[in-house]
Amino acid sequence: MGLISLLKSGIMLDIYFFKNNKSELLSMLLWPYLMLGLILGAGMLFGSTSAFKQNTGLNADPIIYFIASTIVAMAAISVMWEVGGNILFLRWIGALPYVLLAPHRISTTLILSYIPRYLFLSLIQLLEFAPIIILVENLSSGVLKILVLALAIVVGMLPLLGFSALFASILISIKEETHVLSWLNPLILLFSGALYPAYLLPYWTQVISWILPSTYTIELARLASIIGSPQLAPITFLIGVLLGMTIVYNSLAYILIDIGERKALGKGAI
Amino acid sequence: MSSKIAIEANDLVKNYVSFIRRGIFGRRRVVVEALKGVSFGVLKGEVFGLLGPNGAGKTTTVKILCTLLLPDSGTATILGYDVVKDASKVRRIIGVSLTVEKGFYWKLTGKENLKYFGMLYGLDGKFLEDRVNMLLELVGLRKLGVEDKLYEEYSLGMKARLSLARALLTDPPVIILDEPTLGLDPPSARCLREMLVKLAHEEGKTVLMTTHNMFEAEMVCDRVAIIDRGEIIVMGTVDELKKRVAGSVGIEMFVLTSARASLDSIALKIREGIGVPCSIVGENGGYRIKIVSPSDEVDEVTSRTLRILHDHKCSVRRIEVKEPTLEDVFIKLTGRTGF
Repeated sequence: MGLISLLKSGIMLDIYFFKNNKSELLSMLLWPYLMLGLILGAGMLFGSTSAFKQNTGLNADPIIYFIASTIVAMAAISVMWEVGGNILFLRWIGALPYVLLAPHRISTTLILSYIPRYLFLSLIQLLEFAPIIILVENLSSGVLKILVLALAIVVGMLPLLGFSALFASILISIKEETHVLSWLNPLILLFSGALYPAYLLPYWTQVISWILPSTYTIELARLASIIGSPQLAPITFLIGVLLGMTIVYNSLAYILIDIGERKALGKGAI
Repeated sequence: MSSKIAIEANDLVKNYVSFIRRGIFGRRRVVVEALKGVSFGVLKGEVFGLLGPNGAGKTTTVKILCTLLLPDSGTATILGYDVVKDASKVRRIIGVSLTVEKGFYWKLTGKENLKYFGMLYGLDGKFLEDRVNMLLELVGLRKLGVEDKLYEEYSLGMKARLSLARALLTDPPVIILDEPTLGLDPPSARCLREMLVKLAHEEGKTVLMTTHNMFEAEMVCDRVAIIDRGEIIVMGTVDELKKRVAGSVGIEMFVLTSARASLDSIALKIREGIGVPCSIVGENGGYRIKIVSPSDEVDEVTSRTLRILHDHKCSVRRIEVKEPTLEDVFIKLTGRTGF
């Protein structure tokens, strides 16, 4: 009962926000297009989409590639900000003590109250791109790609939740107000291959990319964009990697956020 | 432990460690002793006031009791549950309000905020809806017609009422409030005080509140502990504490002076020259001198004080002789006010 109401609290929070802030609803709906425009616009500065295709050897329509990257990148940013960065926001509005006083572990509260909101918002953003994907592709191929992208969003979120909660554990224990995520997020996206395929980046960044769950989520999205009919084997492999990372990162977060909370309680950082 | 005790603190010690920057790379470790062995007990169904000046250790004590801060040593229990070992159980039986001016989502209405926190605390469905409506009624936000107004549009008094409503969401037997009337206008503060007394005396809830307002403690609290510099210096009912200054009266003088520095010298001369406890605080552009004097020496103490003030070129605007208050108890015990 408690956990269900926790899941519901996240959805209600967004419904209340959008109800009271129509401009926020509008910006939420516009944001995916703005982000795609930004990525495409920035890319165009270095050459046309066909030049990008030539340089990267990408066997797909670059537009679809960037759409897929945009959707996954936004989902990744959303998870990082909402789970990892939520601690700072709650501290800023003075609600952190009251969230901590909820009869759940802080990691459970942060993650469970966020999952329904994430699915709801990410799938809306995916649907916003659906007409473009279907226009560029044909109906059957477009629908298939949308389904693989939806899968990437859902499965890719699982390890990212734990990964982001690791940052929450750091933020909760330090009194520092600087938002590490504001400079870390773009780097994570870059290393994960959201802006440029990871395998074309320098070797040392590729090593970092292996431990980032977003790399595999983006790879899953890339598969959706470059393969005419996505094959089961590579998709299954990537899902397996993501599920493995889910166990590792969420277990780590479960332990570390508890340590972070105790440190914060000891230091008086709450 | 007696079953009549709802909250018990035993020898709580807490030090804060901070670092002060020195130059670009250097830093110096500073240890602040916030609590130096605080012990007290709160009986079930009473309003207990933790009274003290800013920085006395009130909030630190409250945070430990709410499980939001770990003590360095000592123990504390709420209804028998240890605040460190049984923190999750303690969180289920307490309602907390730490600050009245924030702690809610600005872009949500008062009612939406209560519903959200209710869900976070495990309430749901019709029960939550009814509970929220009942609390909005209880704290008077419904009567004011502001339950559907955004939190950012609330006045401080409305925010304080909403904060109390959140503390009562789960109908907890123990309510812990840190400075619940701080910054409120007199009518709002009075209304909140009445609610606290009602909760304790009519509904049997245990209320622990901190305040630096002596008047408030006298009005609301069944018992009071005065805390200063991390130590409880005295504890008891308001009447018991006032007995500490039995046979004394409080002399208040409102003075104007241009030399702030001479005030320390004035206080020293009154304390050591006349031999009575005294405190001086800034008030309405001047200074309020409070002296605790034996009842039978009021005239002499007053005239000697006036002489000292005259020597320091202070202009005395008002003199009042009052029955002793909790403030006088504090002044007598510490030799200063700090409030």
